[in-house]
Amino acid sequence: MNLKDKYAIVGVGYTPQGHVPERTMLSFHLEACANAIEDSGLRREDIDGLIIYRHFLPPMGEEDVTPYLLAQHLGVEPTYMTQDANCSRSHIQHAVGALESGLCNYVLLSFAHSGNSMSRNLMNRSGDAAVFGHFGASSGYAMAARRAMHEFHTGPDTWKHIAVGQRKWAHLNPRAVMHDKPMTYEDYYNAKWLVEPFRLPDNCLINDGGRACIITSTERARNLKHRLVTIMGMGQQNPSTDFQQATYLAGPTGARKAGETAFRMAGISIDDIDACEIYDCFTYTVEITLQDYGFFGPGEGEDWFSGGRIEPGGEMPVNTSGGQLSEAYHMGLTPLTEGAMQLMGRCGERQLGPTTDTKEPEIILCSDNGAILQTHSCYILRRW
Amino acid sequence: MAYKKPLPKINADTREFWKGCEEHLLRFQKCTECGTVRWPPSFICPRCHSQTTEWITSTGRGLIYTFTVNHVAFDEAFQEDLPYVVAVVALEEGPHLLTNIVGCDPGVVRCDMPVEVVWDDVTDEISLPKFRPIS
Repeated sequence: MNLKDKYAIVGVGYTPQGHVPERTMLSFHLEACANAIEDSGLRREDIDGLIIYRHFLPPMGEEDVTPYLLAQHLGVEPTYMTQDANCSRSHIQHAVGALESGLCNYVLLSFAHSGNSMSRNLMNRSGDAAVFGHFGASSGYAMAARRAMHEFHTGPDTWKHIAVGQRKWAHLNPRAVMHDKPMTYEDYYNAKWLVEPFRLPDNCLINDGGRACIITSTERARNLKHRLVTIMGMGQQNPSTDFQQATYLAGPTGARKAGETAFRMAGISIDDIDACEIYDCFTYTVEITLQDYGFFGPGEGEDWFSGGRIEPGGEMPVNTSGGQLSEAYHMGLTPLTEGAMQLMGRCGERQLGPTTDTKEPEIILCSDNGAILQTHSCYILRRW
Repeated sequence: MAYKKPLPKINADTREFWKGCEEHLLRFQKCTECGTVRWPPSFICPRCHSQTTEWITSTGRGLIYTFTVNHVAFDEAFQEDLPYVVAVVALEEGPHLLTNIVGCDPGVVRCDMPVEVVWDDVTDEISLPKFRPIS
């Protein structure tokens, strides 16, 4: 079974994002989904697959958003639907699997949250780790980053390039939460420690909003509105050990095998990649992911990132919307939808190619990662 | 004054561990088939799936595998401790245990630093295993 280029991303749905008061999580799901359907040129009745991304605990005073609730409010009756509950990043695999087996024809994939719900999750105090004052995701990734500092040359001197570089992309993206908030290296170093070795700008944003996209067969996609963008390769690896016991915090993480699988399926090497959209919950996540994909060796990140390589005008643009650090956090849909939009050529001021003095993109590498490096998905997208 | 910080959730898998802590013994499950020492406690050995287990007592010594210095109290009960160190300690017997490093300035903590257990009796029944540098 060869899945290479057999499925395509055909529509992306955005919502207002940032601090958006008086909006429920459900309302962001609905707006993102309706916009994705319209963007693709499909009709509501065409949607027969529905996947909700794993999302955070519902905000105070709201019901959790289940696929049933979303389907009811969207007015669709899917023949396939599912929702992840624990942060594994198998959504695209689920979508492609359902399409390949003929369970449905058009999969709508949705994520939404409000800052209230995200904060509750980041400060989660439910597990026994809280007994020792360890709370949420920042602290877990900070543990990984610290071990990496010990095992190879990295730290804030490397991560500042990621935080500042992505902020430069955000300046070109009016939708980015940090669009008009410039950041220098000095600003980075002057920022307060949150969980050391992470300062505030090493952390992704906490924002309200939603994001959705639609996946269908390449055959069906050819009849739709936008330039064809296919899934050329994909791979997933789930090391499945909590950070408290994991010995892969400084790599190789699941990115190594997931990347190898995706490149093998696509039949290309990293030399063929024109840009990367990397899941960037924290700056270190970007470093370890690119390192495990093979862009540079352990400890070579500081050199690799310096000189503006990932910035507008750079030779390997990374997180061209500003990413989760500077655009908005929508789990894996922040990188995936940006990869698709860039390849469709719909990114305005931040469009890769002559507009930003970068290479015209044909192939973009995207990643997704969850549960503090316990799960990793790699996607290679290609335009036709 | 009542203890305000979160307490461990004790269940059928973890009860034996916390009973050991009450007696200031750091105890882990050891598989009697393949010898793997495991943490967290579990019904089967992750290596050979045997259900037969004995509890061994750790020397309480190990190396700091990794750590964070916490500058914000996400739970206000930790406010008075700021900045405080949360660490993963790799014990001599193998298990990696989440804990606090105490009895030293956070600025001197390093990965691979040798540490030993010290007990923090936080309630009548609960003693928390914390670690301090071996001088």
